[in-house]
Amino acid sequence: MSKINPLYFALGIPVVVIVILVALVAPRMGGGGKFADLTPFSAETYRKDWATLQGNSYRLECQVDRQLSYVEGRGRVLAVKPIDKDPSRATVRIPIFIPAGTSDSFEVGQRFKCKLRVTRDLLVVEALERF
Amino acid sequence: MRHIFLSCLGWCALTVLGFAQAPPPASAQGGTAGDYKSSTAEGGADRVFNVNSDSVDMENGTMQWKGTTMNLGNSRAVRARFERYLAAPTDSGDMKRYVAVLDQIQFLLSAQSINQENYYRNQQEAFNLLFKAAEFDIDANNSLTIASQVQKVWVMKQEFKQIEVTKAQLETLRKVQEGIIINRADVIEEANAANEQAPKGATKLGKASTGATELGYKVKDEARTQAQILAKDAELLALGLKAKIEFQSQMVSFLMARRYRHSLITSSFYRVLFKGGSQNIVVGAKEVKEFFPISDFVPTLESFDMLSREAIKDVSKGMQTVDDLVKQGELYAAFERLQETYFLGEFEPVVMAYPQEKKREMLALWRDLRELQRLGDERDLGNVEGYVNKIRGRARDFPGAPILSKVSNAMNASNMSLLSAKGAVLSGDNAKAEAALERAAKIWPQNPGVKDFATQVVSRQDTLAQKIPEFDRLLAESKWRDIFNKKLEYALALAQDKERSEKLRKVVNRVGELDANIQKASVLATQNNPYLAWDVIVEVYKTESDDLVLAKTRSDIAPLVANYAQLIGQAEKLERDGAEAAALTAWLAAQDLNPASLTCDASVKRLAKSVAESAVIRATGAVPAPPAAADAEEVPVPPSK
Repeated sequence: MSKINPLYFALGIPVVVIVILVALVAPRMGGGGKFADLTPFSAETYRKDWATLQGNSYRLECQVDRQLSYVEGRGRVLAVKPIDKDPSRATVRIPIFIPAGTSDSFEVGQRFKCKLRVTRDLLVVEALERF
Repeated sequence: MRHIFLSCLGWCALTVLGFAQAPPPASAQGGTAGDYKSSTAEGGADRVFNVNSDSVDMENGTMQWKGTTMNLGNSRAVRARFERYLAAPTDSGDMKRYVAVLDQIQFLLSAQSINQENYYRNQQEAFNLLFKAAEFDIDANNSLTIASQVQKVWVMKQEFKQIEVTKAQLETLRKVQEGIIINRADVIEEANAANEQAPKGATKLGKASTGATELGYKVKDEARTQAQILAKDAELLALGLKAKIEFQSQMVSFLMARRYRHSLITSSFYRVLFKGGSQNIVVGAKEVKEFFPISDFVPTLESFDMLSREAIKDVSKGMQTVDDLVKQGELYAAFERLQETYFLGEFEPVVMAYPQEKKREMLALWRDLRELQRLGDERDLGNVEGYVNKIRGRARDFPGAPILSKVSNAMNASNMSLLSAKGAVLSGDNAKAEAALERAAKIWPQNPGVKDFATQVVSRQDTLAQKIPEFDRLLAESKWRDIFNKKLEYALALAQDKERSEKLRKVVNRVGELDANIQKASVLATQNNPYLAWDVIVEVYKTESDDLVLAKTRSDIAPLVANYAQLIGQAEKLERDGAEAAALTAWLAAQDLNPASLTCDASVKRLAKSVAESAVIRATGAVPAPPAAADAEEVPVPPSK
C-alpha cells in the first residue's frame, strides 16, 4: 500500500509533461534554437561581397532545392533556399557545401537550420539541425 | 522544192545532237526504186503527185516518174531552169493551133485514117504539116528533126528498090550461068559414055575430057554471081536495120527528153514507114521496161505511145491541180505541184502557156523559200522564224510549224551546250568547255549567248586579277562578313583555286551558321523569351565578337535582359577570379531568372562539381581577391576575340 496520495500522481504527471513540452518548444518559438547564438546569414550580403563575410560563422535556416554535386569522400554541394521570415521577399538560391562524413540524408524540400562557415567564398556547413 | 525543205529540216534535226527527226532526203536512185505497186498510168500518176513523194530531187537534178529516174541535168541548172521558167514571159504563140497541127499529123498517120489508097498521100500530108509545126517557137524545130528522119527513110527505101533491081538482074544472070553449066556438063557426060561403050582395041574418036576447062570457068562465074546476090541481101538487111535503129533512137530520145507529142508522132511515122516485121523494139527496150516492172514484158511501139500519152495526161491533170490550188489560196501546195508538173512536162503546151502573173507569184514564193533555205544553210536560226512567217503570209498552207519546232530544238540544244560550257569553265575543265562552246557555236553560230559568254570569259579574267588579292586581304583581316557578302563573286573568281575555294567555303559556312544563330536569337526575342535569346548571343559572341550584325542584335536584346546579363557577367568574372562558389551563386541566380537556360544549367553543374572537388583545398588555400562591389553592378562585357 502506497503512502503517497494518488492525487499527487494525478496532478504531478501532467505538470511534468507540460514542463518537458515547454522545454522543447520554447527554444523553437524563440527563433534561435540550437544555433541561436549565431548571427543569421545574409545571402544578399554574400552575393554582393562575399569577402566581407569570410572566416565568419552564421546561422542559416533553409530548404533543400536540389543537390548540385556529390563527390565521394569530399562531400556534396546543395542549392538551398534561405527561409525568410518575410514571405513577400524573393529569396535566391545559394550553394552550400556539406563535407563528407555526415550521415544525414538530404531530400528536396527538407528544411533545416545549420551553422555556416564562410571559407573564402565557400559556405561550409559545420553543423545542422532539421526542423 | 520539197527536197529543199527536207534538206533544211534535215540539218536542223542533225544539229540536235544527231537526232534524225526529219525524214532523210530520198535517194534519187533508190528512193522509190522497187516500189512498183502500180505500173498503170494511174498508179504512176498517183505516185508522181503524191504530196509525200520525192518526185523531184533538186539536189541531184533527177525526177522520179513511174518508178524510173529521169535525169534532169545539173542540179544548179535544174534550179535555174525552173526559175527561168517562172520569170520568163509566157510564150506568145497560138498554143491551140500548134496542138491542133500536131494532133492532125497523128490523125493522118493513125490506123483509123490511113489505108491502101491514101497510104502515100497521108504520109506526104503529115510530112508537110511537120514544117508547119516547126514554125511555132515552142516546137523548137523538133518537128524538122522528125521530117528529116522520115525523109531519110524514104531515101533509104529508094536505095532499097535499086538494090532489089540489081539483085533481080544478078539472079537472072545466075540462072543463065547455071543453064550453061548444066549444058556443058551434059555434053561431057555423053562423051564419056560413048568412050566407055566402044569395043576394046578400037580407036577412040575424041578426047575424054573435052569441055571440062570451060565448065570450070562457068562454075566460077556462077559462084561469083551468087556471092554478089548474097552481098546485096546483106546490104538490104543492113540498110533496113540502120533505118529502124535510127528511127527508134529518135523516138526514145524524144520520150526521154519529155517531148511526148514528138515521140508520139515519130512512133506514128515509124508504124507507117516500116512493115510489120520491123515493129519490135530494138532501141530503148531496157528503158521502157523500167516503166513496166513485169519480168517477161516485151516492149512495143504501143508501150512508147502509152508512156507518152500518160505523161501528157499527168501534166494536164497536174496543171489543173495547180490552178485549183491557187484558187483555194493554197499557194505552197500549188507551187509544189507546179514544180513537179514542170519537170514532168516542161515542153507541154499547157505548162508553157501558164499565165505570167501566176508564175510571178510563184517566183516570189520560190525566192522566199530559197532565202529560207539559205538561212538554214547558214544556220541563222534567229531569222528563220521571221522568214517562215513571211512565207506563211504569202502561202497560208506553208508547213512552218515543223520548221519552227526544229529551229527551237536546235536553239535549245545550242543553249544547253552553252550552259555546259559555262559549267565546265566554272569547274576548271577548259577542254570540256571548249568542246561544248564549239558545239553550241556549230549548232547556232549566231547564238547571242555565245558572244555574251565570250565577253564573260574575258571579264572573268579581269575579275580574277582583282578578286584574289582582295579575298586574301579580307581573310587576313578576319572580315568574314565582307567575304560572305561577295561570296558569289569570289566563288566565280576562285573556282580554279582549290585552296582558296576551300577557305571560302569555310567562311561561308561560318557566317551562315552565325546568321542562323542570330536569326534564332531574334526569333526567341520576338517570342518574348529574351533570356534564351541572350544565351544564344552570348555563346556565338565568344567566337564572332567582331561581327557587326551580331553586335547589333546583341545591343538590341541587351536592354531586355539587363539583370540576367549582369548576373552572367558577374558569374564569369567571379569564376575568372577563382571565386567559384560565389560564381555558382550568381549562376544560380541567373538560372532562377531563366530556368530553361542550358547555359546556366551547364555552368551550374560544372561549377558545383568543381566546388565539391576543391572544397577541402579551398578551405585551406590562399584567399582570393574579393570582387569589388562596384564591378558587380556593371553589365558584363563579353570577352574580345
